[in-house]
Amino acid sequence: MFSGYDFDVIQRSLPYLFRDGMTFTVTLTLLAMTGGIVFGTLLAMMRLSSFAPFSLVAGSYVNLMRSLPLVLVIFWFFFLVPYIGGWIVGAPRPIAVGAFWSAVITFTMFEAAYYCEIMRAGIQSIPRGQVAAGQALGLNYWQTMGHVILPQAFRNMLPVLLTQTIILFQDTSLVYVISATDFLGAAAKIANRDYRLVEMYTFVAAVYFVISFALSALVKRLQSRMAIVQ
Amino acid sequence: MNSSMIEFRAVSKWYGSFQVLKRCSTRVDKGQVVVVCGPSGSGKSTLIKCVNGLEPFQEGEIIVNAESVGAKGTNLSRLRSKIGMVFQHFELFPHMSVTENLNLAQVKVLGRSREEATTKSMALLKRVGLEAHAKKYPGELSGGQQQRVAIARGLAMDPIAMLFDEPTSALDPEMINEVLDVMVELAQEGMTMMVVTHEMGFARKVAHRVVFMDNGEIVEDAATEEFFGSPRSDRAQLFLSKILQH
Ligand SMILES: Nc1ncnc2c1ncn2[C@@H]1O[C@H](COP(=O)(O)OP(=O)(O)OP(=O)(O)O)[C@@H](O)[C@H]1O
Ligand SMILES: [Mg+2]
Repeated sequence: MFSGYDFDVIQRSLPYLFRDGMTFTVTLTLLAMTGGIVFGTLLAMMRLSSFAPFSLVAGSYVNLMRSLPLVLVIFWFFFLVPYIGGWIVGAPRPIAVGAFWSAVITFTMFEAAYYCEIMRAGIQSIPRGQVAAGQALGLNYWQTMGHVILPQAFRNMLPVLLTQTIILFQDTSLVYVISATDFLGAAAKIANRDYRLVEMYTFVAAVYFVISFALSALVKRLQSRMAIVQ
Repeated sequence: MNSSMIEFRAVSKWYGSFQVLKRCSTRVDKGQVVVVCGPSGSGKSTLIKCVNGLEPFQEGEIIVNAESVGAKGTNLSRLRSKIGMVFQHFELFPHMSVTENLNLAQVKVLGRSREEATTKSMALLKRVGLEAHAKKYPGELSGGQQQRVAIARGLAMDPIAMLFDEPTSALDPEMINEVLDVMVELAQEGMTMMVVTHEMGFARKVAHRVVFMDNGEIVEDAATEEFFGSPRSDRAQLFLSKILQH
């Protein structure tokens, strides 16, 4: 049944697939997750601010990002980031950013919109009395947020944040539009070079499935353990 | 000697078009205990939260230790750090141990070192009878224990006054006394206290004055014996007869 297929190609290309491709994918995921959660949390605080311009700006940003297709955003940023970067540092020419850092910035900005909504729900889930208790002790806004509200919001939302990160992990494969060599990109290059499309894409799908499935199972376990603690 | 610690001067507050506080005036002198009572929704919580600026108000003035709470130049965080507050639902920080709950503001607001803060915290936990629970988390304590931790957390800041908003009304009956005992002791040591409560036994025992609120108004503001002996207003009489029945 498998005559005509050559699954050895997978084994031969494993070092390239994982050392180059998967490293790119995982690094991108971790950096964008960290950046996205930090930026998303700031956005959430702005959205919940009683200062109208803050909530307006943050709200518009989130809605804009959530109504654009990710592929389009990746594409645009790839061309825009060098210009914006050049403009920021005051260079006369666009600066070379490279596919990797362009992708990190794009995914951070894009995922921040989703992490924002998660953290907003998390902050709102903390009883208002906690803020009052922090303030009554003389803690200022940042201290109350940093020591009282955000740690609790973050902990309550950890499973949802991780689930969003699994989605991010899968979404990073879209960097093919800027010809970056992520896991899928690396596999695609081998597939085209050796005419082994079926073998390579089957293998890639299996790897994404196994990793995502394992992470989801982990999140579920975490969730049930948190339910016991509460 | 009887200088005022907290003074309300014709304080009014609105939520939209609804007036919660109607020209409230009263005072708490240094070292005195004032109990605030009144029916649900009469504005007791709102009144007490105005003292440390947790609730803003639109008219009138509140002077705490010679500082005007609503004034522009007032450093609210600093003022709050000097006034302890105890809430109906404890509001301990559930993600921190008991000691960390007591240490947090000592370190972050008063700038004490962690060792200094811990020494202070342990002494206060001992005082409220909970030194054995220092390492536990709030969720592992009973309601009465949590409220005693909350009182210790307020005291850790060396406050000039303590505010209590129905500190025992969320507790099971058998835990009320352990909290009231701590409060009585505090009062007898001369702490300035403003206490929203329906525990009339506590009021009789330690309050210097009782303030009765209804519908956002301070209807009665009298010395304790006077209040229980012969309340002037019908509304206070009605309230007392209801509350003293059980
Ligand atoms: N954020 C708010 N917005 C609008 N109305 C409010 C708000 N907070 C309180 N109120 C109203 O203000 C009034 C006074 O509330 P407050 O909580 O001060 O009463 P209370 O005397 O403490 O009552 P209780 O004994 O139930 O605690 C109530 O009618 C309440 O519905
Ligand atoms: Mg109340």
